[in-house]
Amino acid sequence: MSQDQIDMLKRALAREKAARKQAENILEDKAAELYEAKQKLEKSYSELEALLDKTDSQLQGVFENIVDAYVIIDLKGYILKMNDAAVDLLGFENAKVNFNLLKMAAPEETHRVTESFQSLLKNGSITDFYLNIITKKNEAKLVHVNASVIYDKGIPVAAQGIVRDITIAKQNEEQLIESENRLSTLILNLDSGVLLEDENRQIALTNKMFCELFNIPISPDLMIGQDCSNAVEQSKNLFVNPEKFVSKINNILNSRTIVLGDELKMQDGKILERDYIPIFKNNEYKGHLWSYRDVTLKRKYSQSLEAQKQKYSSIIANMNLGLVEVGNDDKILMINQSFTEMSGYSEKELIGKKGNELFLTKENAETIETKDLKRRKGESHSYELKVKNKEGLVRHWLISGAPNYNLNGEVVGSIGVHLDITDLKSLQIQKEKLLNQLEKSNDELQEYAHIVSHDLKSPLRSIDALVNWIKEDNKDKLDAASMQNFELIETTLEKMEQLISDVLLYSSMGSKTLEKENVDLNSVVDELQKILFIPEHISINILNSLPKIKGDKTKLQQLFQNLISNAVKFNNKEQGIIEIDVLDKKSFYQFSIKDNGIGIEKKYHDKIFKIFHSLNKSKESTGIGLSIVKKIIDLYKGEIWIDSEADKGTTFHFTIKK
Amino acid sequence: MKNNLKVLLIEDDMIEVMKLNRVVASLNLKYNIVEANNGEEALKILEEKDELPDIILLDLNMPKINGMEFLSIIKKEERLRHIPAIILTTSNNQKDLLECYKLGIAGYVLKPLKYEEYVSKIEKLLAYWSINELKQI
Repeated sequence: MSQDQIDMLKRALAREKAARKQAENILEDKAAELYEAKQKLEKSYSELEALLDKTDSQLQGVFENIVDAYVIIDLKGYILKMNDAAVDLLGFENAKVNFNLLKMAAPEETHRVTESFQSLLKNGSITDFYLNIITKKNEAKLVHVNASVIYDKGIPVAAQGIVRDITIAKQNEEQLIESENRLSTLILNLDSGVLLEDENRQIALTNKMFCELFNIPISPDLMIGQDCSNAVEQSKNLFVNPEKFVSKINNILNSRTIVLGDELKMQDGKILERDYIPIFKNNEYKGHLWSYRDVTLKRKYSQSLEAQKQKYSSIIANMNLGLVEVGNDDKILMINQSFTEMSGYSEKELIGKKGNELFLTKENAETIETKDLKRRKGESHSYELKVKNKEGLVRHWLISGAPNYNLNGEVVGSIGVHLDITDLKSLQIQKEKLLNQLEKSNDELQEYAHIVSHDLKSPLRSIDALVNWIKEDNKDKLDAASMQNFELIETTLEKMEQLISDVLLYSSMGSKTLEKENVDLNSVVDELQKILFIPEHISINILNSLPKIKGDKTKLQQLFQNLISNAVKFNNKEQGIIEIDVLDKKSFYQFSIKDNGIGIEKKYHDKIFKIFHSLNKSKESTGIGLSIVKKIIDLYKGEIWIDSEADKGTTFHFTIKK
Repeated sequence: MKNNLKVLLIEDDMIEVMKLNRVVASLNLKYNIVEANNGEEALKILEEKDELPDIILLDLNMPKINGMEFLSIIKKEERLRHIPAIILTTSNNQKDLLECYKLGIAGYVLKPLKYEEYVSKIEKLLAYWSINELKQI
């Protein structure tokens, strides 16, 4: 390298050195300036901080003592400071946390919250901001926020806010609204017409039913605010007595006292019940409430009830039956007119008294007690009672008693219907006496018949014995004619004997009550064929099996015996045929006994059943047999008739009730 | 036959008494017939007599004490109640018959109309009681 080059380089270096030196000097100056500025800045900052601290502590005092939650956050949302109320509300353990408040917004709110926060920063404040948050303790809360930005020398440095928990308030509010809605729906649809007027007689509230009742063709909402002063005049003609309606309303409005249950009759027949309730607040009249109820049905119902009641009370009063209502203590509560007539006591004398003590004889007291017990158990019954009336006369009452219940179904006493059956009773007693007498005299007659028949028969036996002795003792002395006469005497005696027996039988026929047993008529007829004398040339045929019937075997036997023996007796044919048959009719049996015997002439058909009316003066015939038959058939409520032609035969038909 | 059958006949009808006596006479058997015209008389006989009858033939329809009353009296007496009493009557009243059997009778015989039948009945009756073992005194 040349010197020139070196010198040149040395000069360049020296120049460079000088320039750097100058630059260093400038830099030094600047640094000194800067330091100064910095010193100043630091000083003012500390001043500011002191000021801030001062304000801060002032504010702190205020906010710590306010009830609402107070939070300061930085411009990103991190919590810088909060009071105890905020710690509580937000669910922190204490105030020293590092938490971005924006994150506390409920997920669905995030977007709105971000927006609102931007708006806060931009506008400097936000009021009445509602949002849902999820606290640190994971509680969902609805909060109300008022917030503003904190500026330092015009520059936003933080934001502060007051947060109120309105979760419960909101709920309450909602509930209130809900119940208000319910209430207004209720009022709207109430089956009473409601009209609430304020102190200026303007409608505050009314409902559908009110409009309906007064034929107002608009909806209840549209009525609100209307003036009612003229309404009375407008609607008065709906009522039966318009002037009275108006004057009554005016009276009510003037007096401002509660009026309940006024009854109003409308032209169209409706009946309304009206209540008036004035409303006072702190003793100041604030309006009134009218309510109208349509009670037409209720009234009609109670009217018809009243009419029914009238009807029954007049029946009760005028009926011939004595009516007595008694309580559980047996004391008479109510009687009707007929009962006073029956008993002889006046109503005054009976009410509150015990019927038993007034009317009963000692013998009856016990019966009544048992009846009373029964009635208390709820049994109805009727019974006869011998009583004495006020005059002391014995009367017979037929009493039908039934327990009396109250609305709860408890027995509160009894009601007895009394019928005086004294006349009836004496007739009945008389009838019983007569029946007894009749029975007795029947028995006596029966007894008498037996004695008479015995007394009549005894001499017959004596005569027969005597005749026999004469015959025996004078065997050789009597001629044939005398012997024949003696035989005639004996025949006559037999006839006499038979007559007496038959009369006795006939007279005893109706005396005994019918024995009811099942009688097989087949076996009855079989037995008769064995007992009766039936000659060889006569045959008895049973065409259809005979029934079993309920009756007295002896009498049924007598019936068939008489008819069969008649058929046998009066048969003059070489080949006698007797046919017994039966037809089953609905309620009775029809029997027939047919023979081919001598027959009966038509003119005698009616006579043969009469007693002692024998057509044949024969030894066996007394004329009583068919009378007995007739009597037995009468006992069985049957009939007997004959088909017969002289010399051809006879058919006896008879019926016996099943 | 050890002894003759002793019969107490209680009968108010004279001819009836005759009838029985004649029947007994016609039978060649010995019967002791004691007659009483009514119940009262019969009771006297029963009281006084040491010897009681073997059987009693009793009519029902009698004056004073009738047959039924007589029967109820002797049935109460320890001494007499064992004596068989046979009713001999014209009454076939079922009520009487039942009543008699209730009181305690040994038989009930209806007097027939025909004398021959009567003879036959009495003959059988006496024969029957003759072959019976009766209480010895």
